[in-house]
Amino acid sequence: MLTIRDVRKSFQENEVLKGVSIEVEKGDVVVILGPSGSGKTTLLRSINFLERADSGTLDWEDIHLDLKHASRKDVALIRKKTAFVFQNYNLFKNKTALENVMEGLTVARKVPKKEAEKIAKEALDKVGLSERYDYYPSQLSGGQQQRVGIARAVAVNPDIILFDEPTSALDPELVGEVLNVIKTLAKEGTTMIVVTHEIKFAQEVANKVVFMDGGFVVEEGSANEIFNHPKEERTQQFLRRILPDYDYAI
Amino acid sequence: MTWNVPFMYETFLNTWKAVPTTLKLTFIPFLISVPFAFLLAMAQIKKVRFWSRFAQGYVSFVRGIPVVVLVLLFYNTLPGQLAAIFKFFGSSFNVYRQVPGITYAYFIFSLTAIAALTEIFRAALSAVDKGQLEAAYAIGLNAPQAYVRIIFPQAIAVAWPNLCNLLIMLVKNTSLAFMMTVKDITQTAKLGAALNYCYAEAYTVILIIYVIICLILEQIFRRTERYLNRHLVK
Ligand SMILES: Nc1ncnc2c1ncn2[C@@H]1O[C@H](COP(=O)(O)OP(=O)(O)O)[C@@H](O)[C@H]1O
Ligand SMILES: [Mg+2]
Repeated sequence: MLTIRDVRKSFQENEVLKGVSIEVEKGDVVVILGPSGSGKTTLLRSINFLERADSGTLDWEDIHLDLKHASRKDVALIRKKTAFVFQNYNLFKNKTALENVMEGLTVARKVPKKEAEKIAKEALDKVGLSERYDYYPSQLSGGQQQRVGIARAVAVNPDIILFDEPTSALDPELVGEVLNVIKTLAKEGTTMIVVTHEIKFAQEVANKVVFMDGGFVVEEGSANEIFNHPKEERTQQFLRRILPDYDYAI
Repeated sequence: MTWNVPFMYETFLNTWKAVPTTLKLTFIPFLISVPFAFLLAMAQIKKVRFWSRFAQGYVSFVRGIPVVVLVLLFYNTLPGQLAAIFKFFGSSFNVYRQVPGITYAYFIFSLTAIAALTEIFRAALSAVDKGQLEAAYAIGLNAPQAYVRIIFPQAIAVAWPNLCNLLIMLVKNTSLAFMMTVKDITQTAKLGAALNYCYAEAYTVILIIYVIICLILEQIFRRTERYLNRHLVK
């Protein structure tokens, strides 16, 4: 469905993505793993043009784009087909939970207000926030804010949701509620790319795992392949580091 | 020293009538400066070529000049320049007679207001978390929608206390308008004081009037600030 090829991106002298390719089929849950600084966030941001890649291509059904030169219209098109869930939620601080979720519908997609409200409420109900429609972000816990963030992404019915470490900013006791929501979405067949360090969660939901390091994809495969039979030394090292009692089959 | 209380009462009534002039000298330059300051601040935020530098330069330059120097410079040179221009185009327009001093006051106070307000807007806009704009783009808003609906409302809340400070500064600056023969409260008090040799009384009265105006402004802003910040405080 979506193919990103050979993405390169530098910040000044620092080459952060050194030719990364990634392929997503409809219904895929792609988990991206990798140490901090390996370029995971930059890759996700390049897909919806929050970051402008220096080179690379994007193919999506009948859309074929050069990431560097994509026009404003193409960018708008891709952004309407995707949704992004941020590490630090980025809810609109001047809007209620409901307004946050409605914004993408009424303003960006011109959905009539009544209908948008209905869709937004359903999305908030789905993430367990039916009691919090009129709360402002500052009145919500981190876990609740991130669930609003997910509702905001789901409501626009995107073809793909991009999650950038959705639970990294949360207190440990709030991680579960957010992961559960994402798991539910995964089971319903939502296509998504998830950057995360939650290995257990990844093992459960991923049908494809990509391990990145130093701006490259080091290894990719099924969850079973990557977690139980990693081929690359660097993948093994990484797994050993984040799973202290890790013991892979050789 | 004995205080001439009836004179103070009379001065109060007289100067009170000049309060609208002082308010005009405050708010008209303020309103004039809003669109200019907004554009200059946006130029800086968006790093627009030339204009970003220009805005920065303008702010630094004008901020360093005492208002009284601007008044001395422009009030003494502008009329002559304008007259020359009109004459050059063969107009019989008499600048000295037909352009009242208050016009120069508006112009000069606007110059300082633009500098101060540009800086206030710039600081407020850059105080809004970058993630807000990215989230807006990510859900499909275009740049004007994102700014109008998400960024500006939050920036205004940040700027609010500084807008109050600016208006208070502008109120105080208006007291220089007497140098341009504008009958504001200071000028009114000065004339009364000189006529009756009651300087302490006259200036005490306008001191009180300035304080009252500023206190009222402060109250208005305090109340609205609470409303604006309802949800934005973390
Ligand atoms: N806007 C930016 N400007 C400069 N350097 C950046 C910027 N964004 C990311 N980087 C750098 O790019 C590298 C990869 O960052 P990132 O994609 O966030 O990695 P990850 O998400 O895997 O931790 C890091 O070294 C980071 O410092
Ligand atoms: Mg990251």
